[in-house]
Amino acid sequence: MTRSFLSILLRSASTLVAVLILTFFMTRLAYRNPAAMLAPRNATQETIESIARSLRLDEPWYWQLWYYLYRGPDIQGAPMGIMHWPPALGYSFRKQAPVTDLILAKAPVTLSLALGALVIWMTVAIAGGVIAARWQGKWLDHLIAVLAYIGLSVPTFLSGILISWFFFFQLSGYGIRWFPSSGYVPLAENPAEWARHLALPWLTLALAEIGIFQRVVRASMLDVLGQDYIRTARAKGVSEGRVYFNHALKAAFTPILTLGGLELAVIMGGAIVTETIFGLDGIGRMAITAALDGDFPVVIGTTIFSAAAFVFCTMTVDTLAEWLDPRERR
Amino acid sequence: MSDVLTLPAAPGGGAPSMPRLLLRALARERAVRYGGLIVAFVVIAALCAPLAAWLLGHGPNEQFRDLTLDDMGLPIGPSLAFPLGADGNGRDVLVRTLYGARVSLLVGIPATTIAMILGTAIGLVSGYLAGRTDRIVSQVVDIAMSFPFVVTALSLLSLNRGGTGEPVIAPLMVVILVIALFSWTFFARLARGMVLSLRHSPMVEASRTIGASHPRIVLVDILPNILPVVIVYWAVQLPANIIAEATLSFLGVGIQAPDASWGNMIADAQRSSLYQDQPWFLFGPGAALFLTVAGFNTLSAGLRNVLDPHHAGASR
Repeated sequence: MTRSFLSILLRSASTLVAVLILTFFMTRLAYRNPAAMLAPRNATQETIESIARSLRLDEPWYWQLWYYLYRGPDIQGAPMGIMHWPPALGYSFRKQAPVTDLILAKAPVTLSLALGALVIWMTVAIAGGVIAARWQGKWLDHLIAVLAYIGLSVPTFLSGILISWFFFFQLSGYGIRWFPSSGYVPLAENPAEWARHLALPWLTLALAEIGIFQRVVRASMLDVLGQDYIRTARAKGVSEGRVYFNHALKAAFTPILTLGGLELAVIMGGAIVTETIFGLDGIGRMAITAALDGDFPVVIGTTIFSAAAFVFCTMTVDTLAEWLDPRERR
Repeated sequence: MSDVLTLPAAPGGGAPSMPRLLLRALARERAVRYGGLIVAFVVIAALCAPLAAWLLGHGPNEQFRDLTLDDMGLPIGPSLAFPLGADGNGRDVLVRTLYGARVSLLVGIPATTIAMILGTAIGLVSGYLAGRTDRIVSQVVDIAMSFPFVVTALSLLSLNRGGTGEPVIAPLMVVILVIALFSWTFFARLARGMVLSLRHSPMVEASRTIGASHPRIVLVDILPNILPVVIVYWAVQLPANIIAEATLSFLGVGIQAPDASWGNMIADAQRSSLYQDQPWFLFGPGAALFLTVAGFNTLSAGLRNVLDPHHAGASR
């Protein structure tokens, strides 16, 4: 148990280091003359050169890589490197702020979005999957299958537009203003407003995932329900509710967990489309504006953030799956 | 060898051939029939795009502002000349939707195929050699999977700028390569898993006993066994890649205006907010995208039922 956890940890760490180095090369190749891109607009040649010097962009690439990893540029006397303590993800001259601060400021939005959607999609998908497995081949199963199919086949950007069109424009046409079309209210400020502002984005994100997960839940439920120990449980007179929720769902949970971790990881890296449509100022939106703008410290920072989120989620899921599986417990 | 195989097929009777059995099994599967029908319709629509443009007399990027925009500059609704209406620039939505189908297929099919070939090759090697090679490959797959799709795609697209800012290779090619780069891992993991379980099968052991070389075992014994499943998952991945292209284009980093792609048409409709009171604007590309993705999803589900019987209907 401890050993396999250590090997998972080691693997995750080496993945992150590789992402760091690859991102460095990718951005250096993609954004030529980085000093000019980092400088404020209309900067003079001298300003650009002094930025290049202070970021050590005029040195050979291996020194650049070293500074980038270890110490980073000194901004107001504080080093901005990743391996330095406290770790920092560099400095954005465009936004005049450390990238770490920028990311931490946007993280609550993305986190609220991802976790809220996760709760909705897991609840609906598990309910839908269990119902479909219970009444397999009946009309309810077919109906749910069709709905899951539709959810699965509509890309997020299309369902997002349709949802905001219906729940915002159409309803407000009738004077019903339940949902705002954009914006974000911090949870600590006003929980009700927080949920009201996030309801439509949650629905958008959850819709596609429900389509995927309902089918996984149904399939793994059916898989488990066909096994001998379920028959034994029924023969013993265990109630159907207990058979479904205590016996079957528990065993069927591992594939759901693995896939869920993967999907959550992708969303944590920035649900760019959902954030764009609903005007949420999260990590994804920041990443794409930075990439279009050539603000590469932010691009590197957000890439590393999403890679870290990905690695963290898969790591957690791997560990949980191992811990949940009694065969692995020793 | 081939004589032996063809001998039992006596004229008029005998056992039906493998391909015929396969076709028959496929035709019995309802999802294959319906999915195939939708996919065929989409492909024909894509092929007919120039024909429709010629019949209607509207090119995909031609603007008919005086014909289709009213005094306020808002497009008028669907009419006989413009069956799906016109967009904010006075372009024919139907013709553009049909041209968008071409882009979708021209990006989705090659991207998925490249990813399949690359991923399967890597998965074969990794699963067959196992041990250290396998660990290294799994690590590379982990790394590739942890990159965020859109932002990385954008960085890679800006790599394509030459000294003067002109693209070095066609942007369409870059989109294909970027999508392939993000989907090969799917095939690598799939192929690796199957090869690992075949590695010690009696069939492979037998080949090894008679002294077959490693390439021969991989290509002649293992590959034909995993190929049907790999091809099924090609069809599973294709709609996801079609969505990926549309998403990139929607965000303005894929197919660039004025070329029509469903993604950038939907983005146009959203940006101009015209869809709020003129939903047909969204209808053309939206319905086309949904139909295509649903068609391929149905087809692949059916193919999986026939060719990958171990898989009992789960999505992945």
